[in-house]
Amino acid sequence: MTHRTRKSLAVLILTSLSWSPAPLVLSQTLLSQSALAQSVTPPTASTVRIGFFPNLTHAPALVAYEKGYYDTQIKGVKVETKEFTSGTTLNEAFAAGALDIGFIGPGPVINGAAKGMPVQIIAGSANAGAVLVARKDSGVRTLADLAGKNVAIPALANTQDVLLRNMLSGAGLKSQSDNGDVTIVSVAPADVGSAFLNKQIDAALVPEPWGAVLEAQGHKVIADEKSIWRGGNYPAAVVIVNTKFAQANPEIVKGFLKAHLQAVALLNKSPAAAQVAVSSALLKLANQKIDPRALQRAMQRTKFTADVDTEALKEYGQLNINAGYSRKLPDFDKLVNLTMLYSLMETQSKLPKPGASRTLMGIK
Amino acid sequence: MTTLTPAKVLRRSRNMTFVWQILGLLLIVGVWWLCTDVFKVKPQYVFPSPKDVWEEFYYGFWGSGPQDGKLLLSVGNSLRRVALGYVIAVGLGGIMGLLMSLWRPLRETFGAYLQGLQSVPSIAFVPFAILFLGLNERAVFFVVILEGFIPVALAVSGAVLNVPPAWRTAGRTLGATHFGLVTRVLLPAAVPNIVTGLRTAWSFSWRALIGAELLTSNLGLGRLLEIGRNTSNMALVMATIIIVGVIGALFDLLIRTLESRIRRDYGLEAGS
Repeated sequence: MTHRTRKSLAVLILTSLSWSPAPLVLSQTLLSQSALAQSVTPPTASTVRIGFFPNLTHAPALVAYEKGYYDTQIKGVKVETKEFTSGTTLNEAFAAGALDIGFIGPGPVINGAAKGMPVQIIAGSANAGAVLVARKDSGVRTLADLAGKNVAIPALANTQDVLLRNMLSGAGLKSQSDNGDVTIVSVAPADVGSAFLNKQIDAALVPEPWGAVLEAQGHKVIADEKSIWRGGNYPAAVVIVNTKFAQANPEIVKGFLKAHLQAVALLNKSPAAAQVAVSSALLKLANQKIDPRALQRAMQRTKFTADVDTEALKEYGQLNINAGYSRKLPDFDKLVNLTMLYSLMETQSKLPKPGASRTLMGIK
Repeated sequence: MTTLTPAKVLRRSRNMTFVWQILGLLLIVGVWWLCTDVFKVKPQYVFPSPKDVWEEFYYGFWGSGPQDGKLLLSVGNSLRRVALGYVIAVGLGGIMGLLMSLWRPLRETFGAYLQGLQSVPSIAFVPFAILFLGLNERAVFFVVILEGFIPVALAVSGAVLNVPPAWRTAGRTLGATHFGLVTRVLLPAAVPNIVTGLRTAWSFSWRALIGAELLTSNLGLGRLLEIGRNTSNMALVMATIIIVGVIGALFDLLIRTLESRIRRDYGLEAGS
């Protein structure tokens, strides 16, 4: 290459660089981010991505998924459902912007919100719905027997983990990470049965239906749904939405909430029909065939509600701090936004009351 | 004008390296600060700023709250685990390596398998370790020991085999017994290569530990990574990664210094 060609090549590259869209794109993204901060509404979405996992505390999602409520209530938009196996993975997808709406335990939500994640709780899904089960040959019959034992929770720092630590401290016990002698390990609820068989763990705090499934295998419930915390009056799963998505797509969120209320109503008014839907969804999503009697028992231990007890959430936030998973509380007034839910419930309650076989609040 | 002796030149170049390293660090932190606090390339829950990470360091090491001091505790637990695991790995690996070098059938069979196992990432052994030993610290030790054992065994056997045959002959001629030949000729001659193996084994064990600690209940650096991930606390994740890197580098430096001193003593490396 001669000196001249090299020079002209350099000029060519420089000019092409200055015309290339790279700096433009960069300034645009910077602009759009500051614009978002001033809450200029982004364009409306053509797809809504809903995430949940195959647990009974997410039953409204399972019912809506199985019955096609989302597709009928959210109009003009493609509905994509995604299944997750733990709050961690769902929360990561949410943080990465790969999900718009999600069913999740309050633990990951509160932690995420405290870190500034654009998340809002727009409805409840289920209260209680978790039990502490001991392996039949573990010799554990009371909470105090857990000293020196292995106890499983679905995921580190999730709702059951925080509640287990709270129960332990109530019984004067401590986890190993707090220099106590109770070993808390994370095991996926569906794998607790085999971990019990291998005697790897002695007890597990699991969400339903896994508690009832373990019980059907002969293992013992040593703390039922009411004795875990607050007499069972605490949100085990809530519905979250990406705040930016909600601001830009109020109609989609409204449609989702209608479907959600419809599913919750079916779960409360026609448990038998709901159970069929849940069972079939669990088979499809988790590849698990749950014994109908166990499922029925599990559903009785779970209270399906679209409402959220903010007081319970605040108390949970404090337990989360006690467990060492956070140093500060999020702003709950911003985090919980039930305005749309309540206005929907109100308009529905004004309609003539449908018969018991029909769905609650008049939504079909 | 002062005269520049070789020692002074060396010291000066070392001082310059140090200065460059500090400048490089400042540059990295500066760019990091620009990306986070100034331009906000990503939100805080994805890419925390140097200040957020510093806060985690502060509470993790010097905080006085009931749940603070986790970094300190984790570093202690991790070092304890890796120290014990590494010592056992070196002991077992040393014995196995020596046996392999002395006995050909063992070398041809077991040695070949070890060579293959070395390419398997440590995390792949975790499910096996859990099923075999249970969900507890023993499973962590198993993975750490296994990962350290392989490079030590291979290094020792290779190093002993590489001792020039003439030295064996000389040892025999001078009346060394079989045992004496091993302890006074072969092993001393193999020391430089063995030390290189020890260094590899250290970094293998350390990496294996962090992976395996994801399953422990007691605090450790790997566990802390998982806590950070599960609580959306990326600052904690970054702080933990920094500590893992710094500890790994410090120990590597320590063994490397030992290695280069030994190599100098053996006349394998030019010294100052």
